[in-house]
Amino acid sequence: MRLSIKHQESYSRSELLLRAFFGLFYIFIPHLFLLLFCAIWGSILRFIAWWVILFTGRHPESFFEYQVNLLRWNLRLQARILNLSDGYPAFGLSGTDDNTTLEVPYPEKLSRGTHLLKTLFGAIYVILPHVFVLYFRAIWGMILNFLSFWSVLFTGSYPKSWHEFQVGTIRWSTRVNLYMGYMSDEYPPFSSKPDVEDEKIESASTE
Amino acid sequence: MSRIYAEIPQPEEVSTREREDAMGAYLMMFGALAAGLPLPIINLIAAVVYYYVNRNKGRFVKFHTLQSLYSQFPTTILNAGLIFWTIRILTLTGNPETWESDNPFAENSLFWGYLCVVITANLLYFIFSIVGAVRARKGRMYYFLFFGKLAYHRAFSGPDSAATGHVNAPPK
Repeated sequence: MRLSIKHQESYSRSELLLRAFFGLFYIFIPHLFLLLFCAIWGSILRFIAWWVILFTGRHPESFFEYQVNLLRWNLRLQARILNLSDGYPAFGLSGTDDNTTLEVPYPEKLSRGTHLLKTLFGAIYVILPHVFVLYFRAIWGMILNFLSFWSVLFTGSYPKSWHEFQVGTIRWSTRVNLYMGYMSDEYPPFSSKPDVEDEKIESASTE
Repeated sequence: MSRIYAEIPQPEEVSTREREDAMGAYLMMFGALAAGLPLPIINLIAAVVYYYVNRNKGRFVKFHTLQSLYSQFPTTILNAGLIFWTIRILTLTGNPETWESDNPFAENSLFWGYLCVVITANLLYFIFSIVGAVRARKGRMYYFLFFGKLAYHRAFSGPDSAATGHVNAPPK
């Protein structure tokens, strides 16, 4: 899984203020309204995919693509909500964005044993430990979000380590989502770092 | 003038993705369960959405999504009727001794007969849909009574524009 949000050299102060005062009306409400319907459809597809995986050991490819596109849309929106990116997030499942990347490899086969295990005991061995850590990360993330607002307002730059922390939290929760959403058999690591191979790709692309 | 039909694809010509998309159409009967609302209309809405999302993914997928959609209609109507009738019974007021004579939707033997019909229809629908889903995943055609023919006419009528080499075609 590869998730990244581009750290910009400089951030627009006017966009920051616009988002802070009117973002609710021109970004969040229209996006969330549409996302709600897409999420309902996504939950129907997920439920059906559960049965398909149980009997065939495969996540239907088009269902999988739909879920990934839904996650991409969420990521685009989240990047703006947290002021991690400038610009207006594209609408729709096929929307594109230069600032955010989410690549999820399609698993040709999924283990049915793991599938049942995560359904029956996922709350205990996945949700509970990960949410416990993510809860504290989210609190710290909120503090950093508040501080970064002033940093961007006065200096026009978002401290890189803060940016990495926020992206790391999103990456972590996305990995948990993928595992619990039957899209991966790989147990999510207790880490916010990108996968080693993806880190290489990312560093090569920035050089 | 006889109608022209496109050739039916054979299992080896149907990709795994098409098979899975076709199979998914029959599983839309679980839509209401997934949405957590016991309303039969949810299944129908799910089938309609699924049809419109997938209808351009080839004739094989179109046929199965259409067949699933058509077969949803009678089941949805029957289920909706049962829900309406049950709600009427639960909300009946007045003298219990004169319910049956006063109200055509009271709990009478007709209601129990209707309930049996609905249960049978749902069971048949469930069994046929599961068989349809399994066949679709194998890349096979499977025709429901009446709806199968209807879906076939709709999905396969008209030649493939690629096969004839003609870009412009008469209105459908």
